[in-house]
Amino acid sequence: MIMDSQIRSLHKKLVNKELSCTDLVKEKLELLKPNTNNTVNSLLEDSALKLAADVDAKIARGESIGLLEGIPFGIKDVYMVEGTYTTASSDLLKNYKSAYTATAIQKLLDAGAIPIVKENCDSFGHGSSSENTIFGAVKNAQNPELVGGGSSGGSAVNVAKGYTVFSIGGDTGGSVRQPAGYNHVYGLKPTYGRISRYGLMAYASSTDCVGPIAKTIEDIRIVLNTMSGKDVKDQTTYQSEPIPENAISENGSVKSVGYFKNFVESEAIDSKIKADFLSAIEKIKAKGIEVKALDFFKSDTLVSTYYTLAMAETASNLSRLDGTNYGNRIESENLKETYAVTRSENFSEETKRRIVGGNQVLSQGFSDEIYLKGLALRDQISENFEKDFNEVDIIISPVTPGTPPKIGDSLKDPLAMYLSDAYTVGFSLGQLPTLTVPQGTTTGLQITAAKDNDELVLKFANFLKDTI
Amino acid sequence: MSKIMTVDVLSSIKGAQPSEAVSKLFEVIKNAHTTNTSSFNTNNNAVSVNDLRDDVVIESSDTEKQIIKANFPKQKKGYLVVSKVIEE
Repeated sequence: MIMDSQIRSLHKKLVNKELSCTDLVKEKLELLKPNTNNTVNSLLEDSALKLAADVDAKIARGESIGLLEGIPFGIKDVYMVEGTYTTASSDLLKNYKSAYTATAIQKLLDAGAIPIVKENCDSFGHGSSSENTIFGAVKNAQNPELVGGGSSGGSAVNVAKGYTVFSIGGDTGGSVRQPAGYNHVYGLKPTYGRISRYGLMAYASSTDCVGPIAKTIEDIRIVLNTMSGKDVKDQTTYQSEPIPENAISENGSVKSVGYFKNFVESEAIDSKIKADFLSAIEKIKAKGIEVKALDFFKSDTLVSTYYTLAMAETASNLSRLDGTNYGNRIESENLKETYAVTRSENFSEETKRRIVGGNQVLSQGFSDEIYLKGLALRDQISENFEKDFNEVDIIISPVTPGTPPKIGDSLKDPLAMYLSDAYTVGFSLGQLPTLTVPQGTTTGLQITAAKDNDELVLKFANFLKDTI
Repeated sequence: MSKIMTVDVLSSIKGAQPSEAVSKLFEVIKNAHTTNTSSFNTNNNAVSVNDLRDDVVIESSDTEKQIIKANFPKQKKGYLVVSKVIEE
């Protein structure tokens, strides 16, 4: 089976001299320049054109090029790329330049891929709609009145619009999977630790994952393999085997699939998403695969556990942002006042809400009752997954309970925004590989497997492509 | 000796108050039932002592040093300026 792949098709055109790399990069830059959907924080035009010219010269000399060589891609604006503005879509870092390059991005550069854009997102990853940004709300690729999703909204929209061949997002509680679902593209949150977080601005370190977004499963596989691996600069990484192309082309090993009953029975789920999800289940059953309904934690418990731990971690991680060594310092009468004014003026309301919440749960009197209990709940959630994967090979779920909200609605009601993450955060807490596929429901389906079984996730995605 | 510190001071954010939306999330945790609150092993990402990175100084490149200096918010006559640290 020959799989669809934009990367392979462009590679072939470059090698056969049907298309020059310079023309390819120029075409994408011209598409990005009007910034139609507010996806662009900065363009990397000069460096991209120079790299493209190098690739063209190499081809002209008759030298062979690698599969990713000359392929233009986008980067969520929370990754360090030496010499580029890295703003986290925040006022605090609006003039900050990376002094070094993130490991995951460096591996793509080493493979010859060409970064062309730093992409709009929720500030520091704090949001589910890409409206919490100083660069203007990201507009959905299908309907510009709706949000692009978040926090990697700019990345998902760029891929969906064809402005980048693939983009690298970051997923802490659903920030790759949900915008992928909202914009009808593939988005993978790999197993935690498969890809180094070094050079990814930390939000919640225990669930932060680097994640590729692309239009095909094969492109996700190629980019995942390139970025994976142990890195001494992130000691939570582990050595993984590359996933071979032929390993994911046929489904022979998935015998049983599970889904969470309470996700489907929830009052919050949109009736069409529910009906479409149940119809997808029937199609899977019709292929002779056993489907089991599984028990799981209530949505409010999942969301509350995730946000409690994520806020605690982000309060610690963002405490370094005080304007002393970098960032938009605002001078006041003394050191403490300078810290306080700098942070008060430069952080968004949502970021402040999360920092304050995190410091609350870490405080004496609150930590036992909330933070430690949140950790215990997380353990129970992980144990539940381990039990589930003794019974089924794959778990499928909707990506979101609802359709993308209109721009402006999420900022008015933060609690509703937190609750809209109900179907993605559990897999983050479990550190499991989960892929959004643009099929099944209007915001897609999530496919999850046991830890380090990213290969099975991609394999089942290929199977679903022809099944539903 | 305990000193009460409010969240605005703890967070270095002026006038910060606990948010209603976030408090609702915390209420869910307070009311949740847990089977075990004494051990946290499932998501253990601790690194084995046999697998630590080498304890060596790695020299930054000149470019990296230049960018770090350029990012510094305030400079005066070749010095990097910070607020006075000891004030109280």
